[in-house]
Amino acid sequence: MNEYIVEMENINKSFSGVPVLKNVRFTLKAGEVMALLGENGAGKSTLMKILSGVYVRDSGTMKIFGEEQGDLDTKKAQELGVAIIHQELNMCRHLTVAENIFLGREVRKGVTLNNREMVKRTQEVLDSLKIDLSPNTVVGDLPVSKQQMVEIAKALSVHAKILIMDEPTSALSSKEIDELFRLVDQLRSEGCGIVYISHRMEELSHVANRVTVMRDGEFIMEGNFADYTMDQLIAKMVGRDIKEKFPRVQCQRGEKILEVKNLNAGRMVRDVSFDLYAGEIVGIAGLVGAGRTETTRAIFGIDPKDSGEIVLDGKSVSIKKPIDAIKAGIVLTPEDRKRDGLCTKLGVRENLSIPNLDWLSNGIGKVNQKKEREIADKVVEELQIKLSSVEINAESLSGGNQQKVVIGKWLARNSRVIMFDEPTRGVDVGAKVEIYNLMNRLKQQGTGVLFVSSELPEILGISDRILVMCDGHLTGELPVAEATEDKILSYATAFESKI
Amino acid sequence: MNEKKSNRLNQALSARGVRSVVTAVIGFLILFVVFAVASPSFRSGNNIQNLLRQIAPTLIIGIGQGYVLITGNIDLSIGSVVGMSCMTAGTMMTKGVNPVLACLLTVLLALLVGFVNGTLVAKMKLPSFIATLGTMTLARGLAQLVNNNHNTDFIGNDAQAFRDLFYYGEFAKLYSAVWIAVILWVVFNFLLSKTRTGRHIYAVGSNLDAARLSGINEYRTILITYVVSAFCACVTGLILLASAGMGTMDAGGTYEMYAVAACVIGGISTLGGTGILAGVIAGAGIWGILQNGLQFVGAPVALRNIIIGIIVILAVMMDVVARSSRKKIKKA
Repeated sequence: MNEYIVEMENINKSFSGVPVLKNVRFTLKAGEVMALLGENGAGKSTLMKILSGVYVRDSGTMKIFGEEQGDLDTKKAQELGVAIIHQELNMCRHLTVAENIFLGREVRKGVTLNNREMVKRTQEVLDSLKIDLSPNTVVGDLPVSKQQMVEIAKALSVHAKILIMDEPTSALSSKEIDELFRLVDQLRSEGCGIVYISHRMEELSHVANRVTVMRDGEFIMEGNFADYTMDQLIAKMVGRDIKEKFPRVQCQRGEKILEVKNLNAGRMVRDVSFDLYAGEIVGIAGLVGAGRTETTRAIFGIDPKDSGEIVLDGKSVSIKKPIDAIKAGIVLTPEDRKRDGLCTKLGVRENLSIPNLDWLSNGIGKVNQKKEREIADKVVEELQIKLSSVEINAESLSGGNQQKVVIGKWLARNSRVIMFDEPTRGVDVGAKVEIYNLMNRLKQQGTGVLFVSSELPEILGISDRILVMCDGHLTGELPVAEATEDKILSYATAFESKI
Repeated sequence: MNEKKSNRLNQALSARGVRSVVTAVIGFLILFVVFAVASPSFRSGNNIQNLLRQIAPTLIIGIGQGYVLITGNIDLSIGSVVGMSCMTAGTMMTKGVNPVLACLLTVLLALLVGFVNGTLVAKMKLPSFIATLGTMTLARGLAQLVNNNHNTDFIGNDAQAFRDLFYYGEFAKLYSAVWIAVILWVVFNFLLSKTRTGRHIYAVGSNLDAARLSGINEYRTILITYVVSAFCACVTGLILLASAGMGTMDAGGTYEMYAVAACVIGGISTLGGTGILAGVIAGAGIWGILQNGLQFVGAPVALRNIIIGIIVILAVMMDVVARSSRKKIKKA
């Protein structure tokens, strides 16, 4: 079970003259999980796309099952047993589970599709993975986590021997992650080689046998996962020591800034009440679907409120639309930054000034471009956003830098409360720390900081006070000194255990 | 057991957006009953025959447009391809070319336009709206060029067989134009719903990246839809030629919009990925019944257009409302 099934040496790849992979080495054995680590832009995804035939390498050797491979395409790679689960979900949401699983390799009887056979075989795959789904369900009707499972089932239905998982857990709740790990274990014991890419360092220790680290398109090291500490691996990834993964600053708690009283909004926000003080970061924890995002959306005025009151600095404010919240000084950096946070086709300067055009323009609406540029330069410098010019498109930035732009557009207004919804999702370790530092700075300045996250370590590491939600209700509140993962989880599943 | 049944029904209604097709069919039946009650001459057997023959061209181009819409693209050139086909075949027939040969050459020319459309959209990655806007103007230009900017003369008694075959002939009480529509519908419905190519058409419209990563040749798939679309437009052009007995340069003007309307009313989303060809029957049916029925109750042309415009908007609105309310139910 220990022979190499993938051997890649001296792999080079450039995109329009810019090298993204430089002499990279990568190996994989049968029956192991290889963790592939690196910051955003390190070249992990490009390397895996070469292995799965999406891209063709410029030079270097690639052996799969001991045989040198020329130019692979996706179809050939599939036939060799290479399957990839992409970071972004790649499902046809209008098609059914069975149709998605057999997409591109439909079973036919003569010229017509043999739907009965495909449904039957899909059911077999789902059963063998213990996934409780009907093959005839339309994928778009499923929650994201189930879609993820379908994606995995799709990869496995081709009898994959080499399975590449690119951030498979980013949309899953902890219960579903356990389910996924069970699958990974099962596959490993069946002799599958698995490449596992994740930014969540904590979960790697549950699954990884070996580790490969990349940085800036270069191979840094490979070795047994157990031989290294987390900090050593992170240091290799970012190329410097990160002293504290969760930097914490102590602050005197100040006056009450925000008071949310008996907020109700739809099914996902029920009778939610809490306070937020100056000089503290309040974390909201809970499982996916607990109503955390919906709470921030209701406060910000995206979703209608059924009842409840929002009090800011002692005065009740009426928020019916986001503009009301922005004017009052309550802002939100949304969970899905590409969809809700950025105009990806616009430049960074324009993105930064979108919510500030009211005070950047004069009486007839002409935008003061000089002032606009000054603000952009200031924000870029303050947040250390790495870019060649403030005019480049927001979509060309890495995940961490995009997130900084989303945050940056609110910094130019002196907001009273900033709500962060999953600000570090899909962001690499170095940029995570910078985002934490920024939240700390806001806390020191007396801005109220509300911090929604699905990752318990960062909630515990950064917040001063932790609220826990379950099924739309606030089920617990803990000062950080008393909080543990177990306590949070028991609050987060308050209703499940009762039932 | 009952729950399982309703679950299965839900799945069936959800797949391909069948729900909106059901709505369209119900709308069609209601309209039919209303006009039948309001006007005795509407419900006469003679008029039903005429009504079906009136619906046939809209249905045929609707089939082609439906193919293209399901991939998430649009084909604006089909109205002009109707005119171009009508003029090309007509000119050749007046010049004494054998009608069979004339039809074949016309089909080839139309397929070429479809090929160009597909290549521009799938290979050159032009937005389909712009690419087919270009070929729309181009094909109309060809329609005018073919006979030196004149409509053709009467295509002559030699072509009587052609005229019967495409329009005036009658078989089992139905005009031949209706039979052509039925045959094309059966063939293209089979291709779309039962074959691998059909599945790929839905996949490309639903998520192009996912389709590509699953090894689907998106160029071939999109090309096929445009070729089908051009072919359907060509057949419609030949039907118009057979009907009028002469080629007219502005034949098929705004037909591309009729086709989009028939599709949208019938539940084919312009965003791609959903809809079935049965919907186009309902859509073209509602379209034809309004044209024909409003005429029988004495509504002027202007009013007919206004009403049909409103129906198109309502159809899309209903789809949007139904979709968002379903989302809410699912969340709850």
